[in-house]
Order: sequence, then C-alpha cells, then structure tokens
Amino acid sequence: MFCPMVLPAFHHGGVYRVISEGDSFLRTFVSRNVLFPESRRDGSTMKCARCLLQLQCLRLVGQSARSAAQHGALLRSTSSSQPDMLHNTQVLRRFHGSPACAKRRPVPAEFINEDDKKRDKSLVTHDDLFEQVAKEVKTKATFNKVVDVFIKRDIRRRGHVEFIYAALKKMPEFGVERDLVVYNKLLDVFPKEVFVPRNFIQRMFNHYPRQQECGVQLLEQMENYGIMPNMETKVLLVQIFGEKGHPMRKYQRIMYWFPKFKHINPFPVPQQLPEDPVDLARFSLTRIANDLDAKVTVYQLPSTDITESGEQIILPHIVGIQSPSQMQLLAQHSPSRPVFVEGPFPLWLRKTCVYYYVLRADPTPPDEKVEEPFDPERCLAFPLQLDLDLDRDFGDEESFDVEDLDEGPVFAMCMTSQGDQAVLNQWISGLQQNNPILGQVPTLFRLDAGPRELQGPADTESAHQHRTDPGPQREERQPEEDEEPRRSQGAKW
Amino acid sequence: MSLPKISLPSVRLLSSIHHHQQQLLLPSTSPLTGPKRAVSQGEYRRPGQPKVDKFPWQPINFGFSKGFDGVKKHLALLKKEFSDRWVGPQGKPILEHMLEQNQVLWEFRGPESLEQWTVSSDQEIGGQSEVHLKLGKNQNTCLLYGTLSSTPPRDGETRYSGYCTMRSKQPLASFDRKKHYDWSSFNTLHLRVRGDGRPWMINIATETYFSHQKDDIYNYFLYTRGGPYWQDVKIPFSKFFITHRGRIQDDQHPLWLDKVNTIGFTLGDKADGPFQLEIDFVGVCKDYAHTEEFAYEVYKRNPEI
Repeated sequence: MFCPMVLPAFHHGGVYRVISEGDSFLRTFVSRNVLFPESRRDGSTMKCARCLLQLQCLRLVGQSARSAAQHGALLRSTSSSQPDMLHNTQVLRRFHGSPACAKRRPVPAEFINEDDKKRDKSLVTHDDLFEQVAKEVKTKATFNKVVDVFIKRDIRRRGHVEFIYAALKKMPEFGVERDLVVYNKLLDVFPKEVFVPRNFIQRMFNHYPRQQECGVQLLEQMENYGIMPNMETKVLLVQIFGEKGHPMRKYQRIMYWFPKFKHINPFPVPQQLPEDPVDLARFSLTRIANDLDAKVTVYQLPSTDITESGEQIILPHIVGIQSPSQMQLLAQHSPSRPVFVEGPFPLWLRKTCVYYYVLRADPTPPDEKVEEPFDPERCLAFPLQLDLDLDRDFGDEESFDVEDLDEGPVFAMCMTSQGDQAVLNQWISGLQQNNPILGQVPTLFRLDAGPRELQGPADTESAHQHRTDPGPQREERQPEEDEEPRRSQGAKW
Repeated sequence: MSLPKISLPSVRLLSSIHHHQQQLLLPSTSPLTGPKRAVSQGEYRRPGQPKVDKFPWQPINFGFSKGFDGVKKHLALLKKEFSDRWVGPQGKPILEHMLEQNQVLWEFRGPESLEQWTVSSDQEIGGQSEVHLKLGKNQNTCLLYGTLSSTPPRDGETRYSGYCTMRSKQPLASFDRKKHYDWSSFNTLHLRVRGDGRPWMINIATETYFSHQKDDIYNYFLYTRGGPYWQDVKIPFSKFFITHRGRIQDDQHPLWLDKVNTIGFTLGDKADGPFQLEIDFVGVCKDYAHTEEFAYEVYKRNPEI
C-alpha cells in the first residue's frame, strides 16, 4: 500500500492535515471493512480505498500550486507509484461518476418512453417519473431503471435535488429502503466535484446548502432504517461534497455510533425472521422461556384437511415449551388448587407480533407452603445453607428493600395460531403425557384479548370456561383473599 | 459552520418530552384533553400551530381556591424539611446515607404512586398514538400500555411520529421549589420490568445551568425480552450518552449524578400496534465490580476535524 509517509511541517496546514487524515481514514476504514462482513471484500473495496487516497493526493497537488517545486521534490522522494498517479490524473478524474462504479455500471438501459416525457414541457415534479413506473410491478430493477433514465437525461443533472427527495420518498413503495446499493446509486446522481469547496471562504459559508441538506437527508434515511454505509458511500461523499461538508460529518457520526450500538441487545432478534410458523414459534418460545434446559415440543403441525362434505378444516400449529424445573413445580402442585391457561399475551419481534399462552397457577397461600429442608448432598462443592449468626453492615446489603412479588409459578408456555379452547385443550392433553398430574387438576381458561398481564390471585374472572375433567372440586370463583406481600420461594428458574 | 435551521423535528429518539399534568381518573391515568403545563416547564409550541397571542398575566389563575389547601400542604413540607435536617442528609441517618448500597426510588404500591409519573404520547404534536398508565392487577406494579401509530400528523412540518413516554415528575420541596435526586453514591440503575419484547429507551434529565441545555437528556436503551417472567435490568450510569432534542451529540460526557431531576421511559420503535410494559420497581445500586467511568470517548472530538 502506498502512502506518502513523512512530510515536513508545512505552513499550509490544511494540506498536511489532509494527508494524515487520509492515512488514518484508510487504515481504519480498511480495518473496519474487515470487521463488518456486509461490506464487500472483493477488489472494489481496495479500489475504493485507492481512489480515495488518489483523490486526496490530487487535491494536494491541486491546492499547493505555489510550492510546486517542493511538492515535486517530495513526490519524487516518496514511493515509486506516485508518478503513476500523476500520470493517470486525467484518466482517473471522472466528473460524473465514481471510479469505483465505473467498471460495474451496466449497459445503458432502454429509455422508458423518453420522448413522451419530453413532449410535456409543463412544470411537473419528479414524482411523475416514479408514477409512470408505478403502473408496472414495483421492484428494485424498475427503481434502478428510473434512476438511470434520470442520469442519462441530462449531463448537468438539472433538478437532481428534487429527484433525490422524490426517490427517497418512493423507496419504501419499491421495497428498496434497506438496500445499500440503491442508496449508493442514488448518491451517484449528484454531479461530482461541483459542490466541493475550493477555498476557505466557500468552506466557511456552507457551500451549496441545498445539496448538502439533500445529502444529509439521504444519509438520515439510511440511518433511520439502520443501514450501515460502506466505503463506496464514503468515496462518493468525498467526491461530491469534499471531506469537510455536512454529509461527510453525518457519515462520520453514523460510522462512530452505529458500531457502538449494533450488538448491545442482550436478546437479539435476527433481521430475517423464520417464515415457517413452527420455526417462528420455536424461536420465540426459547426466547421467553429464560431457561436453556427448556424443551420445545411440537404437538401439531399446521395442515389443511378436507372433510367428506368438502369443507376445509385448517389445523393450526401447536408448539409448547417446558423446562425440567417447571415440570418439577407442576409435579409439586397440589391437585386441589386449579391451574389457569391464560392468554393471549403479545410478544414483539421487531415488527411482528406473536401471541403466546401460559399455563400457571396462583401462588400457594402461606399456610399451605411446605419448606423442604435443603438436601446437603445436592451440592458437595460448597454448603447451601449456613447457620452463621453474623450481622451484616449497611455496606453489605445487596438486595433491594422491596417486597418480592409472588405471582405464582408458570408451568408451561405455548404458541398457536388459533387460540380457542379446543386447541388449547389439545395442548393440555399433550402436556399431560409428561405431567400426569394435569389429569387430576382442574384447569380454568382465561382467554381475554387486550392489554394483558398475568392475573393476580385476588381477581374475579370475567370470562372463563372449565375444562371437562374428573376433578372433585370445581370452583366457580377464586377465593378472594388479599394476599399480604410475603417473601417468595426464591425459586430461580 | 452550521446548517440553516431545519424546521423538521425528529422524534425518532426520545425528543424533548413535554409532559402534561394529568388528572387522576381512577384507576388509570391518561394524557389530558387540553395542554396544561406547569410554569416551570416552559412554553411548547405544537408544530403547525400559530403562536398564542396572550399577555403573560392572562393564563394565571388568581383565585383563592388553591391557596388554602396549598398553604397547609406547603407548611407541612417545610416543617418536614426542617426536621429532616436533624436526622441526617436527605432525611436519612448519615451512616445509612454513606454506606447504603441499594436504594429503591420508585415502587408502585398504591394509586398515589402513579401521581409521581406523567405519561405523554405524540398526540401532543397531532399524532395518533395512545398511552395509559394504571396500577397492575395485584396493586404491586404499574402497567404502561397503549397503541403506537407512526403516521405523522399532517401539519407540513413534522416528518416522523409515533412515540409514547412515561416520565417522573420533578420532586418538589415546600412552596414548589425544585428538589433534585442525589445519586452520587451509586453507579447502576436497577429496574425490574416485564415488557413485550419491544426496545425502550431510558432518559435521565439532570439539572442544567444554561437555558440551551434545557433539552439535554441522557439516554440508554432498555431491551425487553418479553414473556411471563420478570426481567432484572442493570444499567451502569457510565453507559448513558447525552442527546439534545433526540439527536445524539458529538461532545459526550458522563452523567453527573448529584442533581438528577427526572427519569423516563420512551417507546419509539416504529412498529405500529399495541404495547405494554410492567414495572415493578426502579432503584439505584452501587456495583463495586463496575469501575468504568464512561463508555464513550471524551478525549477526542468526534468526528475529528
């Protein structure tokens, strides 16, 4: 990699800073491209990096015309590839396209009714271009075609700002709002090097403010959708607006903050959720189960049956999850107290909402609770119970002075597309195979829609149905007792 | 150089929260129909509305009705303040103040605890999200629920919309003087929440000196897992980054804990639909294992010039 290494301290401070900045940029951006696999690691990255450096060196040559002699000496003294760059100056300076895009630019597409559009000379917004395409299927290819039409239409790209604003607005309709290539192509619409400030007065006075604002809005839409820009974006921005413009600052901010916040979600949801409802149910149940030992069981796969009378019966999928500690709790549950099937509770995964149902019971009242003594042989590494009589200081209080909530144990969760009682009955029968106690315990169903929370013990049920069960006691109403806050069993599942 | 003023308020991150005072409609509280702001909160002009042309004394209520109740309440507060001084700093014995490791700030154990919170949504700027706050079923937690809708209001100015927030009220001493929380002996925020899988944002507003800093808020994300189990969330204060009106700033500095005014929770994740968040308690704790002072760079300007 060639880079001009050491320059004597110029009084022309801007030049020196440009060089050193580019150096650090280059290193950081190449390294960053290694870290993020979504950027392209093929030749175009290196090409981008190279042409970025070439731009900066060209600017160096262009700016310091006074000290050309000094420059000549320096450039000769630096690496041998410098003369190559000087030689290729005219060839590489593309006015309207970035060198990185040059090789990849496709053959000019056919114009879509170019003549028809040109005949109409009235004042139209650039939405029209998109409207005309809207009659066909809106895809990425048609979007690219429209952009190509605009690019080919006028060498000076008259009205490119309005066109870019219109394109940004239409992107969600064409389904390309998360596509970085499309954003780079849209950024390519700007004419290059026209808006780059050439002296300090231009730099001071917000050179070409409308175009800078347009560039910032484009980057802001990218930021809105969470798309990380790549090296090509940077090269384009440098060519269009220079290194000190507002779009470049915005790009730098994106590149600073996005990597910091990319992986801070402790419960990450993939961008592409599984399409299959059973897989989606499996993913979300393992997410909410909070236990790595939990096992997912598919009780029924989705299918459509056609009965003799020709009716279509759609059987929904039933996916349930239960962990060994939940099974243990259910086994310890006394058969005289009922269990509840509650739902549907919402669970949001990015933009989709799925619903799950819960099998739970009320917390045991304090008189019925049995404190099982710790089995000292359960863990031989350290004692589970210490009978020390030490006082704890203020500085050693590690828990909050808050009453523990005891909402009762949760025994299992399930997800299904159709949440009526018949389907949930099927789930309970499926659970019964592993938890025989469900055969004796009365099960009540509380299936209400609306903002849901686990119902507490001191509640009257509004709409519940019984599950037909050989249960000796079937109570219509819950005993309404005001539970005093008390210590929970401390079971951590 | 600075761009000309862009009159497009972005409310993607939590923007400046302008909260209504709320009437307590038992059992749930919801934002008022009309805007009522305390004098200390400053003026808010809803985008798209013309400026109200009133003399400054006209909105003030000169009646006597609030006078007598107010005098009793404030004198009681004043007496409490004087007597608290004899016990120790902030009403706690000094040993407890110095050595305590955990402090519960807000817990929802009765309807009066809901009075410490204000809810607000983008209906203030003309959007269509709804938000309500009520006590949980067993009177031990609070439930913040509602519907998010990200269609922006058609006033020509606003481009993004769809947010709901809950913010604590500024603690007030006697005669409505502002009081601040002092969390300088703690370094972690501890919450017990049960969400529905949506990502929330926690905002902490501190006392500032200059009026430009009025909308400076320290933010961090609160990712909920969803599900029937409660989630303990511990966020060290060193992770909070500063934003102004929802825009993250270049010059970052750590959150100063000695004069904290309010804490709030915002939802603005652009997913339209119902949401809910249950909060058991909000507390601060001192984590001796956490030695980080600040998570973001302060020694270099970003972006580098």
